[in-house]
Amino acid sequence: MSLVAEAFVSQIAAAEPWPENATLYQQLKGEQILLSDNAASLAVQAFLQMCNLPIKVVCRANAEYMSPSGKVPFIHVGNQVVSELGPIVQFVKAKGHSLSDGLDEVQKAEMKAYMELVNNMLLTAELYLQWCDEATVGEITHARYGSPYPWPLNHILAYQKQWEVKRKMKAIGWGNKTLDQVLEDVDQCCQALSQRLGTQPYFFNKQPTELDALVFGHLYTILTTQLTNDELSEKVKNYSNLLAFCRRIEQHYFEDRGKGSLSIRLS
Amino acid sequence: MAAPLELSCWGGGWGLPSVHSESLVVMAYAKFSGAPLKVNVIDNTWRGSRGDVPILTTENNIVSQPAKILNFLRKQKYNADYELSAKQGADTLAYIALLEEKLLPAVLHTFWVESENYFTVTKPWFASRIPFPLSLILPGRMSKGALTRILLTRGQPPLYHLREVEAQIYRDAKECLNLLSNRLGTSQFFFGDTPSTLDAYVFGFLAPLYKVRFPKVQLQEHLKQLSNLCRFCDDILNSYFRLSLGGISPAGQEIVDANLQKLTQLVNKESNLIEKMDDNLRQSPQLPPRKLPTLKLTPAEEESDSLQRLSP
Repeated sequence: MSLVAEAFVSQIAAAEPWPENATLYQQLKGEQILLSDNAASLAVQAFLQMCNLPIKVVCRANAEYMSPSGKVPFIHVGNQVVSELGPIVQFVKAKGHSLSDGLDEVQKAEMKAYMELVNNMLLTAELYLQWCDEATVGEITHARYGSPYPWPLNHILAYQKQWEVKRKMKAIGWGNKTLDQVLEDVDQCCQALSQRLGTQPYFFNKQPTELDALVFGHLYTILTTQLTNDELSEKVKNYSNLLAFCRRIEQHYFEDRGKGSLSIRLS
Repeated sequence: MAAPLELSCWGGGWGLPSVHSESLVVMAYAKFSGAPLKVNVIDNTWRGSRGDVPILTTENNIVSQPAKILNFLRKQKYNADYELSAKQGADTLAYIALLEEKLLPAVLHTFWVESENYFTVTKPWFASRIPFPLSLILPGRMSKGALTRILLTRGQPPLYHLREVEAQIYRDAKECLNLLSNRLGTSQFFFGDTPSTLDAYVFGFLAPLYKVRFPKVQLQEHLKQLSNLCRFCDDILNSYFRLSLGGISPAGQEIVDANLQKLTQLVNKESNLIEKMDDNLRQSPQLPPRKLPTLKLTPAEEESDSLQRLSP
């Protein structure tokens, strides 16, 4: 969005309080949604739970095409539609709720840096695994991505998406990476997150922030999704404080609130 | 460890050892960790490859991307992060990711996509260092690669328009610069008093932006207002890269300085002399002003003139 449009949107956002009927759209949970989209959706849900804002999750097969930026999840609040975690955080801030107000400048810089680390490494690794690793693509991704559509549309859409993702991987230099190198990168990223978390309950000690929501979204999805091989979740399981972190957020923000929307429990 | 390490990379200009961000990162890291690196600058002969620059060659290895080169150097025991704690190591990774996501698109845009900059500065510079006829093809390809990267990572499908993305990437880059400035504060390097990997990366990305003279410079203006980042770049350039710049060795520079000193002394003496002479002139006894020779009119004309003046 251009700068003027963004300023306009946040003006409108600031005018009304959070309504009761806010909805979050994602793809069909059982059959269609993929690892990376599930992670993003869960991150937004966790963030909104942490802000104590009610949200209803609606699953639609064409969520990706409804979204203004082409990415899921997106939220429909009042008469505005906002997609992706970054703009949603800003939108919520314009409405007066923020998790990171108590941080000083250096901590805010760190938080942004770590969020970029997760996006840069974890999200890209998830995309790589889903779309560039032949085994996963053949067994899981193609079937899931095209499932709501009739033949031949399901094949065409799946190939088109795969081509797009491969193009992006090549542009950022991941095109020539092997699966082992990608898994090593994931390991490095988890190590960095684990070292930053240390023994604290959340990344910035007592209060959760959007960074905690993002990390939870990705790690929980990696741990609970069945893929062709378990190497990705094994990498995460090596770090016990990350496991405890996920468990803590799941308990505090999802089970206790009676949401129960996380269909798979961590063991 | 005794194997000679050779790095081939793009050359320098505008006071920098290299104009290419990634090459600069590797060079800075090598200086910080004390790795003996022989730098081969790419020139316009057909020697050497210019594909995946920077490239590190040892006796039996060829390593190509900056992250891999740094890993390789660390394995060879040239480690600049020795004194960092675990948390600082994690912070390093996070800040590098921040640089790549937020600052790199705008730097690529300033160098390769902004047409005025590209055609007046970047393309001639790179073309002069690539042999003909590759010089007609490679810069264009690099420019297209940069544009693709910006659009694919920042553009919003299905319409990839550069204009919508431009404002956003520059805003992100300015925010990233502000964050870096806040993080650096008043300390000399990012983690205390010794430089580390993060300092190499920040230097590599910021120094070309800071030093290269572009026609369209909005990001450069913003950077120049963040004085601690400018001081950071200048410090590293002066402490680690001074000897290889300019081609003047320290001994030569001293001789130049001595000559300059003598010249200044002479000029000063001369100006003193001139002042004294001027004083002397003013104080000497003044002769009466010389009368200028007047025109001698004939007596008849003089009388008629004076008579004419008296009558109304």
